[in-house]
Amino acid sequence: MNFFERMQNLDRRWIYIVVALAIIIPLMIPYNSDNVTSPPTENLYQMIDSFAGREDRAVLLSFLHDASTMPELYPMEIAIIRHCFERNIKVFALTFLTSGAPIIDYAFNSVKEEYPDVKSGVDYCNFGFKPQPMALVLGMGDNIANAVNTDAEGRKLESLPIMKGITNYNEMNLVVEFSGSTAGTYWIYYARPKFGVNVALGVTAVMAADEYPYLQSGQLIGMLTGLKGAAEYEKLVDVFAAYRDPKVDYRVKMDAEGNKIIPGRPFGKEVLNDESTKKLINITTQTKAEFTPADYAAFVAKYPEQKAIFDSLTEQEKDKIVIDVSKITPEQRNQMGEYAYRELNKLTYNIDYKFKVARIGMNAQSVAHIMIIVFILLGNIGYFIQRAKTVEK
Amino acid sequence: MSFELISNLVAAFFTLCIFSFLYKENPLYRMAEQLLVGISLGYSLVFTYERIFIPYVWQPIILKHNFVLILPCLLGILYLFRFSRKLGWLSRYPIAFSMIGIGFSIPMGIHAGILVQMRQAMVPLENVNLVLILIGTIAVLLYFFFSKAHTGAYGKFVELGKWYMMIGFGASFGLTVMARISLLIGRIQFLVIDVLGLMK
Repeated sequence: MNFFERMQNLDRRWIYIVVALAIIIPLMIPYNSDNVTSPPTENLYQMIDSFAGREDRAVLLSFLHDASTMPELYPMEIAIIRHCFERNIKVFALTFLTSGAPIIDYAFNSVKEEYPDVKSGVDYCNFGFKPQPMALVLGMGDNIANAVNTDAEGRKLESLPIMKGITNYNEMNLVVEFSGSTAGTYWIYYARPKFGVNVALGVTAVMAADEYPYLQSGQLIGMLTGLKGAAEYEKLVDVFAAYRDPKVDYRVKMDAEGNKIIPGRPFGKEVLNDESTKKLINITTQTKAEFTPADYAAFVAKYPEQKAIFDSLTEQEKDKIVIDVSKITPEQRNQMGEYAYRELNKLTYNIDYKFKVARIGMNAQSVAHIMIIVFILLGNIGYFIQRAKTVEK
Repeated sequence: MSFELISNLVAAFFTLCIFSFLYKENPLYRMAEQLLVGISLGYSLVFTYERIFIPYVWQPIILKHNFVLILPCLLGILYLFRFSRKLGWLSRYPIAFSMIGIGFSIPMGIHAGILVQMRQAMVPLENVNLVLILIGTIAVLLYFFFSKAHTGAYGKFVELGKWYMMIGFGASFGLTVMARISLLIGRIQFLVIDVLGLMK
């Protein structure tokens, strides 16, 4: 029996073991596989980013899935929620499935841990589970507060600060539906033609082929496809939202009329390809924030009261000033304040595991795909060799 | 032992029970499967009571005296007569009522699913992508036109439609593989990272 014949008769359990190893090893030893962003993901990112700091704009996230599709959809959800919190964008969420309600809570609570200033009812609002999807989708086109009435905590919607400036789809002008089945039907069929609302989807890879026609025809403004789409969005959020220039003060400021002023960021392919931003794309676990002397002076100038604490933490490494965030004690963290600590922590370029889930998963995905292609090729070669032998005989 | 650790261990145990099916059918797999069905049903019953019956039936009718809601409730209860041979006909009334939704969805579905797609296929053919879509749409539609024999030049063009479909099926298969692997990655991430804590 030659090699190919053995492959033809290989017990399926060996294939399972190889696929399992192809996934486990890249997860345990992560590497920085390149992850090129695609236009559907970039378009969605740019539209959400254009709402930054605006009182009269909001994003609605529709969670139309249960736990079975979480590995693909959950990373997308937390990446988008993180983007909204990072850029001060009002975000709403609802679900038409009973099993979707705990996932909304889980997603908001996971991201909220990194944003202590973010408040329910002010910066985000969870409508929770709502029955009667068709009536609700159409009703929100006239008046959201009347159609939805109360949020998941039972609070009257009209009394919540987040509703200031938000009446209907004119303001809440982007719906992103996450789904593992018939994605976006209510929004594409009813809300888009009747009210002109922008619709985007986050779908499992299985569903993507069915949804591409809507993307092609312009009925969707963007689409995140499976784990790949989630990884792309994670990368964009890291590059454009989580990045901190030590010289720039990223705190939200108010003008004389009480309007929020959000520091702007350009979006472009050249930014993604820029050497200085490439290190943000890497999957790192480093804990050190590195400054040039000028950058350190500029950073500390933003927090004059905490200067002594920052100075006590600095170490000199070659021509760089370095602060190791892991050495900060709870007392020092309290003294410098949560905002300053988080600004410093972001300068390490380290991203928490929960915000790089999809990108680490894409490493495993790449290796597993190569293994599957190898199996298919070997199987085909073996089949044709055997067939040729049979014909010879 | 924290609640998170206990819940992770329970989830890990049942994940391994399900994975054990890859070796062969066994009682542990069956136990996990039956538990999943039972827990899902129990959860949805409690959730339906808490999040649907209480806020949309009990509170408005009993606490707020919005008695007009009794009518849709009665209509909904008629569904239960489905189980009776004698009175089963009563369940047709709520079914008839729900046809409003079907009627509503047909024109909207035709608009979003067919008319907009057709319009997009008819726009000026500005790039190769649109030309390919137009050829593919016509070829695939003609493939399913069975009143004419698939022979000669017509047959060859129709054959092109079959190739378009093959490419489509290939893309769907590739995406399906990607989705299944993603689900496996999710579970293994849970086991390796959340349970064993092998990565921060």
